[in-house]
Amino acid sequence: MDPRTIRMTAPCSLRHRALAVRLVAEACRLVRGERSGDDLAAGYDVRDPFDVAVVSAFAEIYNNVALHACKGMVDPQIELAIAATPDGITVEMTDPGRRFDPESVRSPDLDALPEGGMGLHIARAMLDVVDYEPGPPNLWRLSKRRVAAVEPSVVATRTA
Amino acid sequence: MPIDFARADHGDTTNLRIAGTLDVLTAPGLASTIEQIVEERRPKVVVDLSGLDLIDSSGVAALVALYKRVRAVGGQVSVTGARDQPLAIFKLLRMDKVFLL
Repeated sequence: MDPRTIRMTAPCSLRHRALAVRLVAEACRLVRGERSGDDLAAGYDVRDPFDVAVVSAFAEIYNNVALHACKGMVDPQIELAIAATPDGITVEMTDPGRRFDPESVRSPDLDALPEGGMGLHIARAMLDVVDYEPGPPNLWRLSKRRVAAVEPSVVATRTA
Repeated sequence: MPIDFARADHGDTTNLRIAGTLDVLTAPGLASTIEQIVEERRPKVVVDLSGLDLIDSSGVAALVALYKRVRAVGGQVSVTGARDQPLAIFKLLRMDKVFLL
């Protein structure tokens, strides 16, 4: 087990959703080199584009797992394993719920202003990797590389 | 941060301010307010999202429902103040043009 991996086990329910999302949001801050833990924002601090992408995608996948995969189960639990490095983040989430076929989900017709079916589309559009391995347990693997910001002076030098 | 929303009517205009998080947990709390606005056939609805920090697809669905239902009874809906994560989601779903952001 990589000692740098961040791990959490929690009930797979919407009640615990904020806890999991908050953990992922804080892990994103670690990727970006910001402090975390002793300076938690009062609410979600999701403004950096990297954080926006990862948190938005993870929240959608969590919703699907809690609402559909684990629906009706007695005390299901999810397990999260987060690898956060300066190069990016990988979030692995396992659940004991029903299997799911991601290929069966059509892309939403955005011109029709859909009121559902947008979650997986958001996740796929926001991340570099959205993998699913049916179980049990089922495994979602979500990854995003971080593109380091380039200093304006460096850009000026390169373009001169 | 949980959802915080407030409705205020000024003449023909209804201002609906939504702050905090609009997601699968909090969006159902908006349903009765949306229902009232539609039943009252408010001609102009302005949704202020300047205090909204996070939204998910369920929150987007609630706003789309408001938009469709108000327009179905002849009203107009505009959205103002979206920023950061909510604005990114609206752009991804091409709703920034619908909401005139």
